[in-house]
Amino acid sequence: MSFEIVAKSLSQIGITLALILIAFGIVEAVIFLVYNKVLKAGDKALTGMLLAPAVIGLFLLIVIPLIYELVLSFSNMNLHHFKDPSFGITYFFDNIKRVFTTKILKKMTFWPLLFQTVLWTAIQVTFHVVLGLMLALILNSKIRFKELYKGILILPWAMPPVISGLTWRGEFHSEYGFFNIILRRLFGDAAAIPWMTDGFWNFVAMNITNIWMGVPFMMVICLGALQGVPSEYYEAAAMDGAGKGTRLFQITIPLIKPVLAPSVMLGIIWTFNNFNVPYFINQFMLETSDILVTALYRAAFTYNQYGFAAAFALVIFFILFGISIIYMKKTGALKAVGD
Amino acid sequence: MKKAILFILTVLMSFQFLSANSNTEAASDGNVSIEMWTKEGDADGTLQWTMALIEQFMAENPTITVEVVKKTTVDELREDFQTASLAGETPDLLWTVSDHAGPFLTADLIQSVDGLVDLSKFVETVTTAEGSWAVPMSSGNHLMLIYNKDLIQTPPTTTDELIAMGTELTTDDMYGLVYNQTEPFWFVPWLGGFNGKVFAADGVTPTLNTKEMVNALQFVSDLKNKYAIVPQECDYNAADTLFKEGKAAMIINGDWSLGDYEKLFGDKLGVTRIPMVSATKKWPAPYTAGIYLMVPKDIDAAKAKAAAKLIEFFTSKDVQYSQVNDFNRLPGLKAAYDAPKIKESSILKGSSYQLEVGTPMPTVLEMRAVWDGIKPELAQVLAGNISPADAAELMQESAVAGIAAQQ
Repeated sequence: MSFEIVAKSLSQIGITLALILIAFGIVEAVIFLVYNKVLKAGDKALTGMLLAPAVIGLFLLIVIPLIYELVLSFSNMNLHHFKDPSFGITYFFDNIKRVFTTKILKKMTFWPLLFQTVLWTAIQVTFHVVLGLMLALILNSKIRFKELYKGILILPWAMPPVISGLTWRGEFHSEYGFFNIILRRLFGDAAAIPWMTDGFWNFVAMNITNIWMGVPFMMVICLGALQGVPSEYYEAAAMDGAGKGTRLFQITIPLIKPVLAPSVMLGIIWTFNNFNVPYFINQFMLETSDILVTALYRAAFTYNQYGFAAAFALVIFFILFGISIIYMKKTGALKAVGD
Repeated sequence: MKKAILFILTVLMSFQFLSANSNTEAASDGNVSIEMWTKEGDADGTLQWTMALIEQFMAENPTITVEVVKKTTVDELREDFQTASLAGETPDLLWTVSDHAGPFLTADLIQSVDGLVDLSKFVETVTTAEGSWAVPMSSGNHLMLIYNKDLIQTPPTTTDELIAMGTELTTDDMYGLVYNQTEPFWFVPWLGGFNGKVFAADGVTPTLNTKEMVNALQFVSDLKNKYAIVPQECDYNAADTLFKEGKAAMIINGDWSLGDYEKLFGDKLGVTRIPMVSATKKWPAPYTAGIYLMVPKDIDAAKAKAAAKLIEFFTSKDVQYSQVNDFNRLPGLKAAYDAPKIKESSILKGSSYQLEVGTPMPTVLEMRAVWDGIKPELAQVLAGNISPADAAELMQESAVAGIAAQQ
């Protein structure tokens, strides 16, 4: 890359940043003037000025795209109607009806896809929580080289998911992948697993990958929560003769629940919407490895069904919204945050 | 505070003034700035070559500034261009693959190039009843049989010979033949060899559940499962690496790989047609396409004129020769077929020999559904999970559903 290209790129970024700063400067000035001259409430001007960048950012990055998506779901937009889509309530109902009644992509309809997504989410969250908690308990005990173990265990979380996904895909290669090389050496050629071409094994492969990627997050959360549990509880329980199991289920889990419950909720949302792993591990586009968001991606960007995909995205949003509400009510997940 | 506000307003007005002033200058002195998006990458040196061409063009045309934006993949280029078109922020020239013409034409995103260049000077391009939509930069993009002369002296000319040679050459650490088994693009030549086509005569109705498809699927399955002359699983990178490391005698790969292989193997590289299917006495028909230059719709006249000038430069004889010499790509300009290298190089002779029996890749939107219909079922056949007959039915069902979804 030549110096000129670098200089040009930097100057472009610099101009963009300067324009953004100037725009914000104007906004801040306007807010200041409005509070002082119009509302005559100069003491509140600072609050408004400090909040303005965040409010504008959220509006531009979240509210507008959401409104745009909602508007698109009321359209028949696809490549045939790309520049001149029609909008109307009938298109919205058509799109929603299509989500539930027709094949989403090629063979699979919405309900089997939803089942696959729920199964994927349940497996993932269970493994993340159980393994994450186990590792956190070990790291919270008195062991040597604790910091070293922590560093190594957090590594998968630190790696970019796309890189991890592609690396894992290589390890599932039937001839040159790590797993099959080991299996062949141990049990002979017949033991090799068709990770990429068999629907079941491909689903297993994407689960293994995402468990590896997701456990560190839960481990860090659990470890943080465990460190906040006073040791007196354990000492008192030990004096009363409580075993390890009793201490875990009667003291540890109830005490870390305020931290664990919101994390599990986040885990459900992230896993339900996890795109990278199911997309990259499913090299042959097997529908048995698709989940709702990968199907949504293919509908939108492979088949260019923008109106339909927007309606589909709304359906996914409301499913997740429903799951989150039920989960919060059952576990009081955000109670601690509210308190 | 008043001073601060005054300062901000002054800076803003200065920017406004400078911006307006520069625009006025651009209009009055004839300076034009255009943006080109390319799919070329730096791994094989084609991006560097493109950038050098741009520098040369700008030196020869000081009133035109060209900014090149490199897109990592062709799919990224397609998706970004569609999104940019919606926002009204399109580039002024696209350097991309021919199959993008289908979606771009359907969405009415590119303009006819009939008035920009004399298309009679070029090889076949994307043409509809309304006009022609792209200028061919290069021709081919086709698959062929590439072999290592250290391992085989005479390449097979029929599939029977291929199987016999492959069986002889395949050992514990060597394969007779490798190719990308994951992409239907590598399967299509065999379908042609068995007299099959993916579309009916109307060019949009899929014909994947045919006897020809079943035979072609059976053949590729046999190469792997019966004769075992190809690896059990092989994607593009695995095939490429095996061939480069001398662990495969033959590879089916495209013209884009020739430059790399020539550097590695030199005189030991052989190129010829994919062997004739013994059962049908027909040559496999790889899809042919190429790299095309497309002009987005709704760009202003001055930019369109500058883009046309750039197209003229890219398709000049010198640049087309350079493409042949440096990258073994066959030219889009007919006149450049007299390039000495095409006549002298055994590699390009082999590539042209294969091109003769190729078939133009359909550029219709429906092709996407066909690719996606074939891909998973082909994998299942190769894995031995389903029969070719069942796979053909599922492919058809899937392609029909995919096409219906696009409407």
